[in-house]
Amino acid sequence: MASARIVTLAANTMREAIRSRVLYTLLFFAVVLIGTSVLLATLTYVEGHRILQSVGFAAIRLFGAAIAIFVGIGLIHREVERRTIYTILSKPISRAEFLLGKYLGLVATIWLQVAIMGLAFAAVSLLTGAPLNVQIGIALGLAAVELALVVAFATVFSSFTTPLLAALFTTGIYAIGHLSRDLRDFGANSESESIRLAAQILYRILPDLESFNFTTQALHALPIPSNEAVLALVYGIGYSALLLLLGVVVFERRDFK
Amino acid sequence: MRRAAKEIVRVEGLVKDFRVGLGVRRKRVLEGISFCVREGEIFGFVGPNGAGKTTTLKVLMGLIRPSDGTARILGHDVRETEFRRHVGFLPENPYFYEFLTGREILGFYARLSGLAGRRIPERVEMLLDWVGLSHAADARLRTYSKGMLQRIGIAQALVHDPSVVFLDEPMSGLDPIGRKEIRDLILRLHGEGKTVFMNTHILSDVELVCDRVAIIVRGAIRYEGCIAEFLDAGELATDLVFGRLPASLAVSLEERFGPLRGQGGRLELRVPDKAVHEVLGLALSADAQVVSVTPHRASLESIFLSAVEGSAEAVAGKAS
Ligand SMILES: Nc1ncnc2c1ncn2[C@@H]1O[C@H](COP(=O)(O)OP(=O)(O)OP(=O)(O)O)[C@@H](O)[C@H]1O
Ligand SMILES: [Mg+2]
Repeated sequence: MASARIVTLAANTMREAIRSRVLYTLLFFAVVLIGTSVLLATLTYVEGHRILQSVGFAAIRLFGAAIAIFVGIGLIHREVERRTIYTILSKPISRAEFLLGKYLGLVATIWLQVAIMGLAFAAVSLLTGAPLNVQIGIALGLAAVELALVVAFATVFSSFTTPLLAALFTTGIYAIGHLSRDLRDFGANSESESIRLAAQILYRILPDLESFNFTTQALHALPIPSNEAVLALVYGIGYSALLLLLGVVVFERRDFK
Repeated sequence: MRRAAKEIVRVEGLVKDFRVGLGVRRKRVLEGISFCVREGEIFGFVGPNGAGKTTTLKVLMGLIRPSDGTARILGHDVRETEFRRHVGFLPENPYFYEFLTGREILGFYARLSGLAGRRIPERVEMLLDWVGLSHAADARLRTYSKGMLQRIGIAQALVHDPSVVFLDEPMSGLDPIGRKEIRDLILRLHGEGKTVFMNTHILSDVELVCDRVAIIVRGAIRYEGCIAEFLDAGELATDLVFGRLPASLAVSLEERFGPLRGQGGRLELRVPDKAVHEVLGLALSADAQVVSVTPHRASLESIFLSAVEGSAEAVAGKAS
């Protein structure tokens, strides 16, 4: 019962994204960027394929994150602001189901986008004779898990604050998330015991988005240890679930006015 | 009477404080209100602008949390959600996903309400027909007018065939024909044995459809009971307009009922309801010409004003 309602909400969220023009614009630019990388690659003589693929890969990850943040920051806020949430919550829908349905709908939308960009990447690679391997698929999959975590941040922020603040917070988290390993290493080399401890704690709390980054392995056809991949998967799902739980607790207490 | 009927809505000592500004100061919007709605009745929740009607309804719909007190629907605390499959809700100035068509959005709400399979298209088509939107069913809601959105709002409130319906200003934004259609729809729901709760500040709507009312002024219930009793407590009068009136009669009427107002050969007089028969008799036997007889209903707002000023203590005293 509950799952049917969540699916209905998620499907509708996807439908909204698919019917809005913004997404196509972003997707268009992503495909253009992937195409440009081909051009770049043909102009360079050294390691043309590698440049092509690394620009393409970076484009997928960055545009994925951009779409996740762009759509995610208004996901819940807009429903409250435009009062579309009133009639939905007057049906047998709990606030937790609402939040989860919206979240899963956006994740599915973004995964669809990643799949389209991935296909464009593969097509371009085939056309230019660049190598394709399993690692690329795994790395793309884990990039998608990272995006699900980014969407979780955006959703939770958007459940209690304005799109502008949610955008600032989520972008901040995204940047910090890619630097948190550096922070840990920086702290570990410190003389002071308390700084080392503080860096450790911060690293534990902040998301470590670099743990989803297997670009190097993918583009150099290096093996991805399966325990690392599984660990990243579990980490992504666990972190997202915890965030959403926190979001539900806050959302449950809110007044919609 | 319906004394023994089941209680559908029970509100007890409901208090709502809103945070003002940065959340330090609080403003009390509901001052511990209590009332109940019984099975099968059309209940009018009436009050002037800003009285707290929408706030009460939002608490009932689980959209805002009460600061104190309890609210139950069909025996369930309003924080629960499962029982809402038996509840329909039309918000004030409803707003919906604009990217969907009328048919799609009703299907969406039907699915959310737990309907499945063939029943969804059946109910959707039926409701589109009821609210007169079959012709616009495949247009996006972005292109709908205010009145059409209000109709979609009513359709989504009824799509899952609920046993209790909550309507916040159901007639607002509708033309006279639309208002009549909604009134008929409400009476039809009543005929099917459904319970209807409606917020309004329009007295004529209340008089026409409601069985019982609760009157709320500044967050406090001033009266709960039959609408007729409440209106009787106020001063009822009738406006009579004469085309031709013999001078002698005019003088004697002015002595009894105050000055005649008039222009262009028409004279208007306001008399208490109980004197209408007598005055009309006098006028007709004196060969006066009666142009119109209009019952004058004190506007709800003026009754509220007097209630607020305390000159209607008698009315408040009659509250159950
Ligand atoms: N979010 C809010 N924050 C602070 N005060 C609020 C808020 N919402 C409503 N109020 C106040 O609560 C009071 C009741 O508002 P409510 O919307 O319930 O009135 P109403 O009876 O529905 O009026 P109307 O007939 O105009 O729809 C008003 O004084 C309003 O200013
Ligand atoms: Mg209102």
